[in-house]
Amino acid sequence: MLLSRRLLWLAGCLLVILVGCAPRPPATDKEALQDYLETNDPLEPTNRKLYAVNEGFQDVVLRPLAVGYRHAVPEKVRDSVHNALANLTSPVMLGNEILQAKPRKAGNRLMRFIINSTLGVGGLFDVATSLGYPEETTDFGLTLATWGVGEGPFLFLPVIGPSDFRDGIGLGINAAMDPFTWLGQGSTVVYLELARYGMTAVDLYERNMDSLDSLKKSALDPYATLRSVYRQHRRSQVEDAKQDDPPTIPIWFPQPPQKTTQ
Amino acid sequence: MLCSRRLTFALAALWPWVAFEITAARAAQDSAASFVDNVAKELAAVIDSNDPPEVKHQRFLAIIENSVDVDGIARFCLGRFWRQASPQQQREYLALFRQLLLNAIIGRLQEYKGVKHTIGRTIHQTDNTLVQTVIVRPGQEPAHVDWVVADVDGKPKIEDLLVEGTSLRITQRSDYSSFLLHNNSNVQALIDKLRQMLANQQQQQAQKSG
Repeated sequence: MLLSRRLLWLAGCLLVILVGCAPRPPATDKEALQDYLETNDPLEPTNRKLYAVNEGFQDVVLRPLAVGYRHAVPEKVRDSVHNALANLTSPVMLGNEILQAKPRKAGNRLMRFIINSTLGVGGLFDVATSLGYPEETTDFGLTLATWGVGEGPFLFLPVIGPSDFRDGIGLGINAAMDPFTWLGQGSTVVYLELARYGMTAVDLYERNMDSLDSLKKSALDPYATLRSVYRQHRRSQVEDAKQDDPPTIPIWFPQPPQKTTQ
Repeated sequence: MLCSRRLTFALAALWPWVAFEITAARAAQDSAASFVDNVAKELAAVIDSNDPPEVKHQRFLAIIENSVDVDGIARFCLGRFWRQASPQQQREYLALFRQLLLNAIIGRLQEYKGVKHTIGRTIHQTDNTLVQTVIVRPGQEPAHVDWVVADVDGKPKIEDLLVEGTSLRITQRSDYSSFLLHNNSNVQALIDKLRQMLANQQQQQAQKSG
């Protein structure tokens, strides 16, 4: 009790030190003001500090782990680890597809989970993709977006990286929705959970390390570039989530022509 | 009755114009798609050829110079700061941007050995045409790349690439704009920084080849 109160106090102090706001340009400077509104990053000074902390964490912890992982483990095995971790997120994604009112996608997800958990040996092999159920990802941030919630100001979260108010809330709810976090208590469960989160972080970083390196090498302001890339990518995901609603028609019924991008 | 007759008359009178607009829009879409198809094929042919690196470099350069609106992209990336720059600064910036962009594109193209592409839908927008493609590299997941094609001085030119929904020129503009905001909106500071970047690249290149 005492410990948690102290922790709260410490967190409060940290927040006071960290929170700073970017000055809003005067209304007379219309173009600068428009830039400021488009960027929508009023917490920029705080976010930049968290970005610096995150960079340190990546350099000291994640990078050595990811580099070691890449050297020690063959690509095929790494793919299997990725598949197994992705398979564990299926229940949350299924929940989100139901909340987004996408019955066909939810059905596909269920099929993927069943096929990969059985034929794919506990998710190690992605058999479902070759059977016509390709991997797609979704989360509660996208669910909120399909309900009409705007992205809100930009946020840079330690360890997690670029985000925004909507996606930050989405992350919390996504974690709470995960049935694996409802499993009983006890040290074994805690260790398994920690191992899963740790492995997910290393897997994610290893897969994106090269792109991140090349972004940092070519950008004058890597923070601003990352912010722009995150925002654009997220908006395109939201657009896809809103538009992509495959029809639910029984297999024996005449099918409508498929929308193809080819 | 009179009203509907007038409407019919108006429609009949307007029809040639409407038909012309529709045909023109379709022709623009078709030509944009075949333009992108040609550029992608030409690039793939050079990537997969057995020419020595210097010859490949020259061939890439010729294709890019002919098909990419480098100056347009450069102006877009500087955004509102373009007007603040003096003519001398504008010239310097354009030259540096051109060199950096060409280096970035040509450096990247080498990674695309065995690349295949399929042309998807074409979307006509107000100022340009979007040609959707799927790019497949051996051993990599397919990537959705949209090519933004606009008419520049009567010739189709590539203005932007959207890789999985992320625009390369918007990303570059965000980078420059943030750099300028943190450097008192001083365009010369950006030019100096770009010059330094180019010098570093050339030094690395010299070390590699030497």
